Amino acid sequence: MIKNRDTRLTVWLLLPVALVLVAYVLYPSLRTFIESLQKDGMISLGNYQDFFVQESKTNLEALWNSVYISLLSVLVSALIGIPLAFIFNRYDFPGRSFFSSAAILPIVLPSLVGVMAFMFLYGESGLVPNAIKDLFGLDKVPFKIGGVSGILIVHAYTMYVYFYMTVSAAINKIDPSLEEAAYNLGANKFKVFWKVTFPLLTPAIVAASLLVFMISMASFSAPFFLAGGYRVLSLQIYFSKINGDMEIAATQSVILSIVSISFLLFMRWYQNRKDYRMASKGIGAHRSEVKNPFMKWVMVVTGIIGVIILLLPHFTILLLSLVPDGTWTFQTYPTVFNVENYRLLFEDPNIFKPLRNSLLMAVIATLANLVFGVIASYVLVKRKFVGKSLVDILVMIPWALPATVIGMNLIFAFNEPSVFSFGQILVGTFWILPLAYFIRHIPLVVRSTNAVLEQLDDSIEEAARNLGAKWFYTFRRVIFPIIMPGVLSGTLLAFIESVGNSRPRSCCTRFQTGPYPLKS
Amino acid sequence: MKNRKKSLVSVLTLSAALLISGCNGTDTKTNSDTGGAKGEKGELEDKIVVYSPHGKDILSKFEKQFEDKYGIDVEWLDMGSQEILDRVRSEKSNPQADVWWGAPSTNFNQAKDDGLLAAYKPSYSDNLDEGFRDPEWYWTGTSQTPEVIMYNSKELSKDEVPKDWDELLDPKWKDEIIIRYPLASGTMRTIFSAMIYRTYKDTNDPKEGYDWLKKLDQNTKEYSANPEMMYNKVAKGEGSLSVWAMPDVVMLKENKNYPFEFVIPKSGTPVLTEGIAIVEGAKHPKAAEAFYEFVNTPEAAKTLAEEFYRIPTRSDVKGLPEWITETEIKAMDIDWNAFEEKGDEWMKYWDENIKSGDKEIKE
Repeated sequence: MIKNRDTRLTVWLLLPVALVLVAYVLYPSLRTFIESLQKDGMISLGNYQDFFVQESKTNLEALWNSVYISLLSVLVSALIGIPLAFIFNRYDFPGRSFFSSAAILPIVLPSLVGVMAFMFLYGESGLVPNAIKDLFGLDKVPFKIGGVSGILIVHAYTMYVYFYMTVSAAINKIDPSLEEAAYNLGANKFKVFWKVTFPLLTPAIVAASLLVFMISMASFSAPFFLAGGYRVLSLQIYFSKINGDMEIAATQSVILSIVSISFLLFMRWYQNRKDYRMASKGIGAHRSEVKNPFMKWVMVVTGIIGVIILLLPHFTILLLSLVPDGTWTFQTYPTVFNVENYRLLFEDPNIFKPLRNSLLMAVIATLANLVFGVIASYVLVKRKFVGKSLVDILVMIPWALPATVIGMNLIFAFNEPSVFSFGQILVGTFWILPLAYFIRHIPLVVRSTNAVLEQLDDSIEEAARNLGAKWFYTFRRVIFPIIMPGVLSGTLLAFIESVGNSRPRSCCTRFQTGPYPLKS
Repeated sequence: MKNRKKSLVSVLTLSAALLISGCNGTDTKTNSDTGGAKGEKGELEDKIVVYSPHGKDILSKFEKQFEDKYGIDVEWLDMGSQEILDRVRSEKSNPQADVWWGAPSTNFNQAKDDGLLAAYKPSYSDNLDEGFRDPEWYWTGTSQTPEVIMYNSKELSKDEVPKDWDELLDPKWKDEIIIRYPLASGTMRTIFSAMIYRTYKDTNDPKEGYDWLKKLDQNTKEYSANPEMMYNKVAKGEGSLSVWAMPDVVMLKENKNYPFEFVIPKSGTPVLTEGIAIVEGAKHPKAAEAFYEFVNTPEAAKTLAEEFYRIPTRSDVKGLPEWITETEIKAMDIDWNAFEEKGDEWMKYWDENIKSGDKEIKE
C-alpha cells in the first residue's frame, strides 16, 4: 500500500519534469536537426557534406578555432582558478576573506559589457596603454589586446571563477586526515599533492572544465567585438542566419552541439573511471597561517593589486556611465563627468523600458527555474525510476548547447503553433525570452540542488514520514529548509545570468533589452 | 505614463497567474489587442511597433511628436537593417512589427519577395519619382543616402584624403582603414556590392570586384562589430579612414563633436534609397498607415533634413538646407535588382574567401 503510494508520488513528480524537458529541451533540438537535413526541399545529409568538403574550408576552420580556443580557455582558467582556490583555502593572512570574496566578482559582469570594458581599458585607444604611453613619453602604445590572445584574456578573466568556486568547495570537503596519513607514511609534499589531494579534486575540476569549455564554445561577444569577427562557430551561425541561410545555420548549430555533448560525455566517462567518494565526511579544512612576515606582506600586496585588476572593468563601466554622450570622441581621456545619463535613464521611458523588461524576464525565468529545479532535483536524487540517466542527460543538454543554438532551436520550434506552446506562436512575443533563460539555466539550479540533496540522509525524511507527516508537509518543513543554501546559490546564479546575458535575446523578440543593439 | 504603469501591473499579474498555473507559453496578444479597436470604422489602434535602424535620436523625436498628435503609443526597436530583415523573417507567422522604417531598397525587395510586406499607396504618391518606390507600392522611398569615404579630420588634411574608391587601395593606407563588419549592415553590403557591380555589369563576372575587395581587405586594419565602435576607433585615430553613409557622418560631426569629414568619390557613388514599408499581417494596420504618412510629410522630411541630415525623396519639399542643394553627388548607375539577386552570394563569398583569416590574429 505504502509502496504503491510511493510509486504514484514518483510518477506524479516525474511527469511534469519529463514533460517540460521533452517540450522545451528535446523537441526544439529535434526541430533544428530536422531543419539541418533540408536541402533544396529534400531530406538529405547534403548540408553536412557541404560543411566538411566546402572549398574554402571556412566552416572547418571555424570549428577548429572554436575547439582550440575553448580548450585553451579551460587551461588558462584552470591555471588561475585552481592556485587561487588553494591559496585562499589553505593559508591564512590578513585580508584573506576579503580577497577571497573579491575573487568572485568577475562573474557579475555580463559578457558583452565585460568585453566592452576590456576594450576601453586595454584596447589600442584604451585607457591603460595610453596612460603608460603618456607617462613614459612613448611613441606608440606599449601593448593592446585583441585577436586570439584578447579572446583568451577575456575568457580567463570571466571564467576562472568557475574553477575557483568549485575547487574551493571541494578543498573544504577534503578530510585532512587523508593527507596527514600520507605524510605519516613518509610521502613528501609533492607526492601527497599528486597522489592524494589532486585526485580528490578531480570531480570539481571536471565540472569546472565542462562549464568553461561550453561557455567558450558558445562565446560570441569576445570574438566578435574584440577580435573583429575572428572565425569561430558561434559567429558563423549568427552570420549564416543573418545572410538568410537557415539550413546552414541549423547544420552549424547541430555540429556545435555535437562537439559540446561529446565533451560532456567524455568528461563523464573520465570522472566515472574512478570512485572519488570519501568514506568520512569532511571535517572543515584547516588553514595554516602564513608566519613569515615578509611572505605575509607579499601576499597582502599581491592581493591588493589583484583586486584592483579584478575591479578595473567594473570601474570602467561606472566611469563610462558618467561620461555624457558626445564628449568623449577623439579625446584620449574623458574630460566631462556628470550624471546626465542616469537622469535620462530615469526620465526617458525608452531607455528605462529595456531595463525593466530584462528584470521582469529574469524574475519570471528564475522563479520557474526555482520550482522546476527543486522538483527535478528531488526526483533525480531521491526517487527511483527507469530512464533516470536519460533525464539526467536532458537536464544537462542546455549547458552543452550554446545560447546561440538554444535561440535557433526555439525559433525553429515555436515560430508556428505547437502543442507545447498551447497552440500559440511564441517567436516574437514576450514569452520567448523568459523561456530561453529558463531552459538555459535548468542545469544550474538542478546541479546545485543535487549537490546538497545528495548529502541529505534519507532517514530524516523517513523519520518525518513515520511521525505521520504527509509528503508535501515533510518536503516543505524538513527537506526544503535543509537544501535551501544549494537551491539559493543556483537560483542566484541563474538570476544574475538572466539579467546579464545578452545573447539568446538577440534572436527572437522585439522586447528590447540589450544595452548595445547592433545597428547598421 | 499612467498607461505604462497600468500595463506593467497587468503584465505582472498576468505573469503571476501564469506561474501559478505552471504554464510558460501564453499569449501576449491579448495584452496588446485588448484596447485596439481593430477594424472598427477605420479607427486607429492604440499602439504601434516600429523596427528601424535610424537610431535613438531620430526615433525618440518622432515617437514623441506622433504620440502627442495621435495619442498612440509608439514602441520602437533599433537594429541593423539586415537584422530587421532576419527578424521579420523569423516572425513571419506571428508578425510583431507594424512598420519597418529605414533600410536600403534591396532589403525591402527581398522582404517583398518573401511575402513579408503589405502594399500601401501613400497619399503623397504623386510626389515620388519612379525610382523611389516599388512598382506595386510594397515600399516607398523616404530618403536618399549617398555612400562616402569618411576620414578623421584631425589625422588627415583635406588634400591628402583619397578622392575616389580606387585610391583607397593605395598601399600607403595600409592599416589606416577601419570597416564596419559588413554582413549585418545594409550600408556596407551596398558599398561592397557596388564595388563588385562596377565591373560585373560589363563582364557578368564578379571576379574583378572580388580582387578589388581583396586589396581593400589588405589595407583594412580591423572590422568593427558595430558602427559605434567604428566611429570610436576612427575618432581616436586607431585608423583614419572608413567608408560609410553620408548622413551619418554629417550628423556625427554636427551633433556629436566627432572629428569627421567626408569625400564623395569622384567616379560616382551608390546612392541608396532608404524606404519604409508596412509589415504583412501587422497587428495595428491603421496606426501603421498613420505613422507611415506622419514621418513622410514635407515637414517631417524637412526636420529629417535639417536635424538629421537625410536627403528627402519627395520632390515637393521646400527650403532644404544648403549642404543638400550645394553638394553635388554623382550617382553610380546601378541595377538594384542585380544587387538583390546576387548580394547574398557576393557577401558569402567575401566572408568565406576574402576576409583575411590572419587579420585578427596579427598583434
